[in-house]
Amino acid sequence: MLTLLRDLRRLRHSVGLPRPDRGRSLAIRHVDAGSCNGCEHELTLVSSPYHDLQRFGLGIVASPRHADLLLVTGPVTTRMREPLLAAYHAMPEPRLVAALGDCALGCGILGSPDELVGPVDTVLPVDLRIPGCPPTPETIATALLGLVDRAPRGSGIGAQ
Amino acid sequence: MAVGPIHAGVIESGHFRFHVVGDRILHLDARLFYKHRGLERAAEGSTLDDGARYVGRACAACAVANRLAYAHACEESLGLEPPSELARARTLLLELERIWSHLNDVAAVCAGVGLTAGNTLFAALTERARRLNADLTGHRFLFDTVAVGGSSLELDARETRAAREELEAIGRDAARGWRELQFSASFQDRLPDIGVVDAADVERLGTVGPAARTTGVALDARSTSPRLDYPGFECRLPDRPVGDVRARLEQRALELEQSLEIALRLLDGPVIPAAATPGGGEAAVGVGRVESARGATLCVVERDGNRLRRVRLRTGSYANWPSVAYAATDNLLPDFPLINKSFELCYACADR
Repeated sequence: MLTLLRDLRRLRHSVGLPRPDRGRSLAIRHVDAGSCNGCEHELTLVSSPYHDLQRFGLGIVASPRHADLLLVTGPVTTRMREPLLAAYHAMPEPRLVAALGDCALGCGILGSPDELVGPVDTVLPVDLRIPGCPPTPETIATALLGLVDRAPRGSGIGAQ
Repeated sequence: MAVGPIHAGVIESGHFRFHVVGDRILHLDARLFYKHRGLERAAEGSTLDDGARYVGRACAACAVANRLAYAHACEESLGLEPPSELARARTLLLELERIWSHLNDVAAVCAGVGLTAGNTLFAALTERARRLNADLTGHRFLFDTVAVGGSSLELDARETRAAREELEAIGRDAARGWRELQFSASFQDRLPDIGVVDAADVERLGTVGPAARTTGVALDARSTSPRLDYPGFECRLPDRPVGDVRARLEQRALELEQSLEIALRLLDGPVIPAAATPGGGEAAVGVGRVESARGATLCVVERDGNRLRRVRLRTGSYANWPSVAYAATDNLLPDFPLINKSFELCYACADR
């Protein structure tokens, strides 16, 4: 098993992400607000040996109380509106919201209007938009790293 | 004990209500449909071609299976028959979807146990399979590759050869990883005798897919698929028809091997664009049945000329959710994530 894992280390060189020498971090809480599961599958692979986002100090946390960033997928169904708001209000400040995927951004949404609340920015203030249907793990990783880099030091976001 | 709709990891939304005594689950009440988007109703009145968009976006993990069931339903209603080239292209897409899906499911069971090494290995293989999808069709989840009445997929000899080489490499690495999992004692220790669904339960609950076959029930829509390219298909059944978490995991490995063989056979020559040809009587209603990675997916289409009057999609996930609730009964609460992962059903497929 260890031999096989050692081989996987070289995979990270096959993607165009910067070197992990930044000394900052971001705790992410994901909420699925009615996606087709595509964004979730790609988000899972952001932790695969190819992208390995943990080495940049970025990780998915189990509770919104531990999170800096709320990562929302899907067109926000009427049934997911309340749980989404509850997760947001459970987060400590300062807090950020990212809309992941075209549905969350309100592009080309399919579904009955009376089952959907609308894109994420009709429910929460959105700080980061990651387009794609679904966005590739590389797009997601690049966008999240860019967010950490843009946050001014001392702002409480991206602090170690 | 109420869990969800938001879960701890990167998981879809759904609410579970456990009735427990101590750690033992007496009853599980799975309350889904938090993700209901009204896709079927929204598709009403659209053209048959446009309807495929709604069905395809029901679920990313079963995008090909769902669209194919829809395309078959529309073609049956329009009296169209697929020529062998079309059947071949579609079967290839269906098996490519099953390959990445089964690799992902093995990774998910490893994650359910907390075996990060196994999860990492199979996550890397899932990524490779999705990259192959993107190389062949331009989309990692094979979105929009299946259309009503034809296929535009075109692969020349160089592309099919490269795909064969990559699939063979994925198969080799998956076999090596699988062998390592056999010798991981702490991993194997968690799997047997939990979440049991036996052959009698399969009959009673209408379980489909790998979860049904792992109990020894030879139930596979691929063995009766005249519109697809499965000559002499026989589903693989396990040596020990037990129906627990380990058996369902082993069934995935068994079927992954078979899917790789089928995909390699289909990639033996170039894939060319093809259109369905008139060959049967028209009808107002059509039914399509396709084996997805989670089981038999059924699509019924009722049309009015070239417009959809009603469409209904019953996916393998929808059929199997009651089995998950049943399998959880009498097990320990900490084993539920593992039982759930051994079925690895889509919430999006059920909620639509």
